[in-house]
Amino acid sequence: MTSRLSRMWPILARVRLSSVLGSRCVSQTPKSNASGAATASDLQPVSPAAQDIHGHAEVSPFEKNPDFHGFHHQDSFVDEWNMRLAFFFGISVAIVIGGTFIHYLPDHGMRQWARREAERLIKQREAYGLPLMTENYYDPSKIILPSSGEE
Amino acid sequence: MLKVLIPTIMLFPTIWLSSPKWLWTATTAHSLLIALVSLAWLKWTSETGWAASNMYLATDPLSTPLLVLTCWLLPLMILASQNHINPEPISRQRLYITLLASLQTFLIMAFGATEMIMFYIMFEATLIPTLIIITRWGNQTERLNAGTYFLFYTLAGSLPLLVALLLLQQSTGTLSMLILQYSQPLTLQSWGHKIWWAGCLIAFLVKMPLYGVHLWLPKAHVEAPVAGSMVLAAVLLKLGGYGMMRMMVMLDPLSKELAYPFIILALWGIIMTGSICLRQTDLKSLIAYSSVSHMGLVAGGILVQTPWGFTGAIILMIAHGLVSSALFCLANTAYERTHSRTMILARGLQMIFPLTAVWWFVANLANLALPPLPNLMGELMIITTMFNWSPWTITLTGTGTLITAGYSLYLFLMSQRGPAPSHIMGLSPFHTREHLLMVMHLVPVLLLITKPELMWGWCH
Repeated sequence: MTSRLSRMWPILARVRLSSVLGSRCVSQTPKSNASGAATASDLQPVSPAAQDIHGHAEVSPFEKNPDFHGFHHQDSFVDEWNMRLAFFFGISVAIVIGGTFIHYLPDHGMRQWARREAERLIKQREAYGLPLMTENYYDPSKIILPSSGEE
Repeated sequence: MLKVLIPTIMLFPTIWLSSPKWLWTATTAHSLLIALVSLAWLKWTSETGWAASNMYLATDPLSTPLLVLTCWLLPLMILASQNHINPEPISRQRLYITLLASLQTFLIMAFGATEMIMFYIMFEATLIPTLIIITRWGNQTERLNAGTYFLFYTLAGSLPLLVALLLLQQSTGTLSMLILQYSQPLTLQSWGHKIWWAGCLIAFLVKMPLYGVHLWLPKAHVEAPVAGSMVLAAVLLKLGGYGMMRMMVMLDPLSKELAYPFIILALWGIIMTGSICLRQTDLKSLIAYSSVSHMGLVAGGILVQTPWGFTGAIILMIAHGLVSSALFCLANTAYERTHSRTMILARGLQMIFPLTAVWWFVANLANLALPPLPNLMGELMIITTMFNWSPWTITLTGTGTLITAGYSLYLFLMSQRGPAPSHIMGLSPFHTREHLLMVMHLVPVLLLITKPELMWGWCH
């Protein structure tokens, strides 16, 4: 059985469904009489004035303006000034001046003060021999508890 | 508060009255100045941390980092959109920036709200500009489906929230966060109370998103244009986290038991969505699923209700917001050049775009939580607090960290390394604008290494 299969298999493997049915089971647009197989260039006619999604022709904007900065396609003056202002307000003003402002903000949430105060109190209490912290935050004699056994 | 809100509202005249040539320059400069002024919120003025300009708008150490992130993101969105919106008619360009600015206004009012109903209204209001951005300016036909999923998932979660808030108003007499944090703990025993608990949180869990109700996110993030993806990933997901942190104050002691299934879903989601990332062919879809993974960790951190959990959640939200937005910008640069999101079409980019490869590298390292970046600090705090809650979570969070590193490496190797296909040679060079955009994303992440206490919230 397997020897029969191993003889038949090279022939079976080459049989394609399309050769049996006589056509390829692939959906295709019907062939135009102008050409043979449809190529990519036939599907989208490319003319020199073709506009792609950016509205500029297939030509790169760097051809017209070698210093194109990406801001304005048509006017190089606006493009350059947009670049300058974006860099100025973005980096020099917002990041540098803003960053300096943030750096010199006072102690955020008094965290550094809290650390210094804790160290100072520890030093003071160790000098006087006092315990560093009392176990009870509240005075236990002032706490009134319900008697156990009730809800 | 008003020194930021009024200039943000004045963005609308800037947009509509600028001459067409200077529209983008003017709005970029204006929004960057707003971002500078917003840094003034970072000053901790009172002992409690609340800085209230009036009864209805206030900031505290939880909302301040998110507000600064929101204000920082608007100029980045404008920079990122400038190229792909350029061919459209001028009034449509103005409309696009108007939608971004209105989103900004709603978000500032949402994060600054002291009254829960105002937060709810602003939470819902952010849906509208986002929906318009996704469905009008998305690039594929699937954007309609994406908009529908986005809208209805969020609405289905938030209608119970409205009912829950009205019930809370009925029982406590107020919905002001300033007052509710000092209110008596509510007696919550009956089944009705449990459903109320769920109603309070479902909206935010859908928004985060929690694994299980996360299906809207890959669709919305992928179909949105770059500014839409940026704001979704960076800020809108954090609305869910912020809402949860505000609500958790009032929901004890039910949360001790009821949070279990959601914590488990969140942790399982880290692993599942991380594994899905490893099998993605679509670049934006990979970044979207990685957002779900990170937000699962945030959700877990919030639901265990410990100081470290809250702090880790805030840090991870800020860091993830910046890094995820950076990754979406990088994906958009590849998309604008190849007009496809398929990863195998944009391979070997390091050969052609070496500086951009640096941005890809840093963004991916941040995504996989490399020390000393704040991404790691947030993740580590959440992992530690969850280990304290239950030692078994370390298996899930540890595996999640491993898979995160795996797919981040996969993303980097796939896009940057390897032989460059021949069509890559003809791609347009990188613009100064795109490099500036990446610097403005990644430099704040690096600077936050030096002063993380800005993000620690009120717990420490």
